[in-house]
Amino acid sequence: MKIVLDRPRCEGHGLCEEAAPALMHLDDDGELILDRDEVDPADVGALGAATAAVRICPVAALSLA
Amino acid sequence: MTDSPAATAAGARPVPTSDVDLFADDVLTDPYPTYAALRELGGVVHLPTNEVYALTRYDIIRDALADWETFSSASAIGFNPMVNEALTGTSLASDPPLHTQLRAALTENLSPRALRGLKGQIDARADELVAALVEEGSFDAIDAIARAFPLQVVADLVGFTGEVRDHMLTWGKAANQVIGPLNQRTAESFPIAGQLYAWCSEVAKDDLTPGSIGHGIFEAEERGAIPEGSSGHIVHQFLAAGVENTVSAIGNILALFAAHPDQLALVRNDPSLASAAFNEVLRFWAPINVWGRKTTRDVEIDGVTIPAGAQIAVMFGAGNRDPRHYDRPDEFRIERNPVDHLSLGYGVHGCAGQGLARLEAHAIIDALARRVKRLVVAPETRVPHNITRSIESLPVLEVVPA
Repeated sequence: MKIVLDRPRCEGHGLCEEAAPALMHLDDDGELILDRDEVDPADVGALGAATAAVRICPVAALSLA
Repeated sequence: MTDSPAATAAGARPVPTSDVDLFADDVLTDPYPTYAALRELGGVVHLPTNEVYALTRYDIIRDALADWETFSSASAIGFNPMVNEALTGTSLASDPPLHTQLRAALTENLSPRALRGLKGQIDARADELVAALVEEGSFDAIDAIARAFPLQVVADLVGFTGEVRDHMLTWGKAANQVIGPLNQRTAESFPIAGQLYAWCSEVAKDDLTPGSIGHGIFEAEERGAIPEGSSGHIVHQFLAAGVENTVSAIGNILALFAAHPDQLALVRNDPSLASAAFNEVLRFWAPINVWGRKTTRDVEIDGVTIPAGAQIAVMFGAGNRDPRHYDRPDEFRIERNPVDHLSLGYGVHGCAGQGLARLEAHAIIDALARRVKRLVVAPETRVPHNITRSIESLPVLEVVPA
C-alpha cells in the first residue's frame, strides 16, 4: 500500500513521526519527509505504524491508498 | 428527556428526539450525564429546543469532521445568525477553496513549523512562573497560571501592546460566548464582542509589534498572499480562540492533576508522558464541547436521515466519552494517551493553534512534574459559558513540592 501525503495540508504537527518513526520524519525545516511511502500489507508492524500515522494526523493530510 | 421520534424522510428510521437544552446552566457546568443519555438515545439526536441535530458518538463525529463537503462551516459554526454573519470571512466559518487560502495565511505564522524556535522560551517562562508560585504556596491556579500564562504568550507572539492586552480575556470570553444560541449570556456578550470586532476591523500593521505574527499577517496581506481585509479577521481569531480555550485547557490540567496526584506522579517518573497527559486532559474535559456545522445535502447516518440545510451540533465532549471508542471513558488515566480525541476537531478545520497550545501545555506540565508533588486545593467554581467550559476559580491552599 502507498502512503499518500497531501503536502499543502501538512502543517508539520509531527504527530505522525511519533506514530511511525521508521516511515517518516520532520526535517530541520519542519517539512515532513516520507522515508518509505510503500508498505507491504503483509508487514504487520509497518502497516500498523502507517495506519496509526494516518489516523493521528490532526489535519487529515495523510492517507493510505 | 423524552424519546418521541420526530418525523423523517421515507426509508430511514425516525430520528430520536430529546427536549434537552444543550445550553442550559446545569448542562454547561456538568454536561457529562446529559451527554451520556443523548449518546445512548442515538448517534444522531434531534433537539427541538436548540433547533439542531446533535452528533453524539465518536465515529459519527469524526466522520462528519472529515467530510467538510457534507458538513459545511459556512454560516454554520455558531448557533445564532448574528454570530455567523460576524464570522463570515474567517477560516473558521468558510469551506474550501476559500478556506484553504485563509487557513494557509493563518498557519504560515502559527503552524508548529513556524513556532519550532519558541519552545525554549516558552518552557523557561512556564518554569519561572511555576517556581515562583511553589515558593508562594497559596494562590488562585486559574488567575496565576491558566490565565496569566497564555495571555502573556499570545500577547507577545501576536504583538498586542497597550490597552488591548487588558481587554484580551474579556473580549475572548465574550467572542466565544456569542457563538451560542440567542440566550441571555449571548445577548449580554454581544456588546463586548462588538468591541473586539470593531478593534479588529480597525487594527493596522503598526499597532502590532514588528517581527510578531500579527505584523507578519498584515505583511502577507500587503503582498497579496491573503485576501484584502482578511488580516483583521485573523487577528480576531487569535484573540478569540488563542486565549479563552487555552485558559480552559491549562486550568483543566491544574485541576485534574490536583484531583489525581497519582497521575502527576506518573509524569514525574516519566517526563515523556507530558504529551499523553495533555491528550487525556483534552479528552476528559474538552474546552469546547459543542460546535456547529450545516448539512449541504440530505445525509443518512446511523439509520436516520438529517435533512439538507439542518443546523448540526457536533458534540466533541460526548464523543470523547463514548465507551464504543474509549475503554472506561469516565476515568482520567493519562497512560491511555488518547491521541485521536475530538477536542481539537479534525481535518481541514482542525484547531489551527494546536501547535502553540501544545507548546504551552507541555511547558506547564513539565514544570509541574519537576517542581510539584501535590497541589492541595479548595473546590473549584464554575460559571456557565455557552461554548468554552472552563474553571472560574481554583484556590491552591498548599503546594507540596517535589
